[in-house]
Amino acid sequence: MLRDVANRVAVQLFKRVPWMGQAWARSRGFVEADSAPWAPMRKRLDRSVIALVTTAGVHLRSQPPFDMADPDGDPSFRAIPTETPREALTITHKYYDHSAADRDVNVVLPLDRLRELRDERRIAGIAPEAYSFMGHIDGAHVATLMELTAPAVARALVAYRVDAVFLTPA
Amino acid sequence: MGLIQRVIEREGIPTIGITLQKEVTRRVKPPRAVYLRYPFGHPMGEAFAVRQQRAILLLALEALETVTVPGTILEPPWRWRRHRFD
Repeated sequence: MLRDVANRVAVQLFKRVPWMGQAWARSRGFVEADSAPWAPMRKRLDRSVIALVTTAGVHLRSQPPFDMADPDGDPSFRAIPTETPREALTITHKYYDHSAADRDVNVVLPLDRLRELRDERRIAGIAPEAYSFMGHIDGAHVATLMELTAPAVARALVAYRVDAVFLTPA
Repeated sequence: MGLIQRVIEREGIPTIGITLQKEVTRRVKPPRAVYLRYPFGHPMGEAFAVRQQRAILLLALEALETVTVPGTILEPPWRWRRHRFD
């Protein structure tokens, strides 16, 4: 109970006081990568199939929610059919304030905006599924994410012949 | 999120992500990123702000065609609740 209140206060502080987020990032000691991987665009945007990936904890109401009890988070993901009606989506994620995204999921997962670009032929198509993680992963779950769940999503994107991916955090 | 992005890029698919934390992104080094100085929970801007969400998405997708340097972090000058998206 007290922990829940403390967490809610922390979520609002991190949202409203930008330097706190930076201090948190420094304290976490993210390992610095030497270089960025690179895959070139092979097609023009208007000939490309685009997929969405988010770490904002979005999922179908019919899917099991992300695990909020484990302090190290939940490294699993949910596949969300792209044509899912908005009412069928919900968000399970207690480490950010998703009140805006609860009202309009496009704030974290821009399915409607992507569909508009497809209808205007700015892009060729949308992958049949979007993929959603819960972006608060620590401890042993980092290895699960890097070795199991993120590669599983990458393989699905390859299998669907996706040309490029747009990612959103929380 | 940058870690997931790197895994996908290594499978051969070009990626671009929004970031609200430039320092983390500088360290994790995803291939392409768009930094917005927006509050957590708002990577695409505000609820029902269609023009804002569209501008962010289009900027990112167009950057897939134009960015050529791995690790690039774009910074559009769109101040939170100050910029008018027309």
